[in-house]
Amino acid sequence: VLRLRWLKLLSRLALKRPLQAAACVVAVIVLVAVGVIVFAWSGLYNVAASRGHWYVVDRFLRFGMENSVRARAPDVKPPALDDPDLVRLGGAHYHGGCAFCHGAPGSRSSPIVQTMLPPPPDLQEQVPLWTNQELFWLVKHGLKYAGMPAWPAQDRDDEVWAVVAFLRRLPGLDPAGYESIALGGVEPDPSGGRQLATAESSPDAVGACARCHGSEGQGPTSALVPRLAGQSVEWLTRALHDYAAGARHSGIMQPLAAALSPRAVTELAQYYAGLPPSSPEGAAARASGSIENGRRLATDGDAAAELPACLSCHGPSGSREYPRLAGQPARYLSAQLMAWRGGKGGASATHAIMAPIARRLNDRQIADVSAFFASLSPVSGEAGRP
Amino acid sequence: MMQSVLDPGGPQADRIAHLTMILFGGGSAILLLVLAAIGLALWGPSAVRRMLASDRLVIAAGIVFPVALLSALLAYGLVVMRSSIAQADTKADVTIHVVGEQWWWRVAYAGADGTKIAEANEVRLPVGRIVEMVLTSPDVIHSAWIPALAGKVDMIPGRTNRLVLEPTRAGVFRGQCAEFCGTSHALMAFAVVVMEPEAFDAWLAREAAPAAGAGAGAELFVALGCGGCHAIRGTAARGVIGPDLTHVGGRETLGAGILPNGHAAFVRWIAATGEVKPEVRMPAFGMLPRAELEDLARYLGSLR
Repeated sequence: VLRLRWLKLLSRLALKRPLQAAACVVAVIVLVAVGVIVFAWSGLYNVAASRGHWYVVDRFLRFGMENSVRARAPDVKPPALDDPDLVRLGGAHYHGGCAFCHGAPGSRSSPIVQTMLPPPPDLQEQVPLWTNQELFWLVKHGLKYAGMPAWPAQDRDDEVWAVVAFLRRLPGLDPAGYESIALGGVEPDPSGGRQLATAESSPDAVGACARCHGSEGQGPTSALVPRLAGQSVEWLTRALHDYAAGARHSGIMQPLAAALSPRAVTELAQYYAGLPPSSPEGAAARASGSIENGRRLATDGDAAAELPACLSCHGPSGSREYPRLAGQPARYLSAQLMAWRGGKGGASATHAIMAPIARRLNDRQIADVSAFFASLSPVSGEAGRP
Repeated sequence: MMQSVLDPGGPQADRIAHLTMILFGGGSAILLLVLAAIGLALWGPSAVRRMLASDRLVIAAGIVFPVALLSALLAYGLVVMRSSIAQADTKADVTIHVVGEQWWWRVAYAGADGTKIAEANEVRLPVGRIVEMVLTSPDVIHSAWIPALAGKVDMIPGRTNRLVLEPTRAGVFRGQCAEFCGTSHALMAFAVVVMEPEAFDAWLAREAAPAAGAGAGAELFVALGCGGCHAIRGTAARGVIGPDLTHVGGRETLGAGILPNGHAAFVRWIAATGEVKPEVRMPAFGMLPRAELEDLARYLGSLR
């Protein structure tokens, strides 16, 4: 009622004396602006993180943040968030990318992080307060002035959903359950005292690759992750360089690859290239495509649809610059082809070769070729021979 | 490479050149007459000016003359067109299938025992024989035009058109796409090499044979997956999506009439395909080390 009376008064003034009314409005705006500048200039406001926010300011900021997230969360249907492959991929990334600030079951966040303002919240308490779409938005876009970064690869929504899937599992997870999901059963090498005292890398980085990609005798922990054992040194090196340079997009791989020294890239590439390809059992599991149709497409291509045979590059005589696809998880292959088809994933040189081909594939063909390559055994050495 | 309507190399182009001469010659004569009339009307003696202003002259030169002349030209044009149409039924000595694709030419000769000899982006013709080009397109409308040999004929998806040629002299002519067909339409050309009949027969026999090339480049060609799109007969490369490269080293040009064939052109084409020909289907392989590009170029150049 009060506001309405104000508006009435204002509109009457504006109608009678428009010039004076406009001058009034401008004067008020100028006064407020000058006041704000004087306040900021005076240094009265304390920006110390050590002091915390005044209760009113804290409530106000939180109110604005919550409404912004709720208003902007996308209206999309999430993938199945109880999918164990999605949860494990998200969990492995959480351990390296999120736990430092948000802590994890069994380990609190660093004391340095706890003195941030606002302090990164304990997610086991916070996650239930948000919907899936709101969590997705938070992980993808981050929060201004809160230290929460955005997802490094903005075109990889599939990876963001993996993190959301894990976050849904997080409340109530005990330390043992957390380790089995996020560490992928990798036993970090026990380091000696000297190594711990002198090593420059943080202990958390140990096992960063193996958390997802596995190590000796153990393949990837999630069907959304590629099998690296037995790939060529050239391809592994190129992949890491492309991630580090941002030519290949992944919010999970880019930060890890960017942190590697040239020597570490070489060592890692040689390590995985030297591993015997592990048994591909389960690679084809849950593959929905027809292996027979996939074999035809992979061997002969489809000239009418301008699809070259996959095996002309990914077959046994293929260049070491190209990945071996035999025994790769069908879901990983499908997801990559879908990303390329959707114009996502980056702009590397090999991307420019593969993306146009992926754009000519339909859903059926993607499922078929993925099932075919997943059904091949990488162990025989004839990676891809039909 | 010659590309001129005014320097015909066969009877089909002759007729067009002839028609062109009549049109331009006649048009020039009429222009001179009109200019003379204007001059006389401005500065001529008064008797002439009165004559120019008479109703009779206006009717004769302004109505009767154009009607008669244009009708005669139409009749002549129809006669020329009829002879071209009639020729489409003549039995050809050589049949060449040419498919216009974005943005190159898929060419196939009929081999000895009914097989097809695949070629690309170049057409070779014998002097003095009747050649029939069977024109089709799988994607959009293209148009095949060899200005020095014949008029243009459209290549329309779902239709088969014919173009009959009788080259009368040897030489290298330029053909091009004459119907806008996408981004690199202007970069869709081809070489037409007219040869003496014996040389042509020897060439065709050579083309029918598989490729004879080897070395590091040959292995790279297969390993890099080039064979997924390109065929080199006699090797593991059997792709049919892109141009057949069995004898690519012997062609006049690369990239469908864009680059003069040679080692440097091969390297440039493979490393920077999209720069040479925007939006081309072939991906660039610029990430290859220089030595491998050179190996590939050497191998392809040796395929003659």
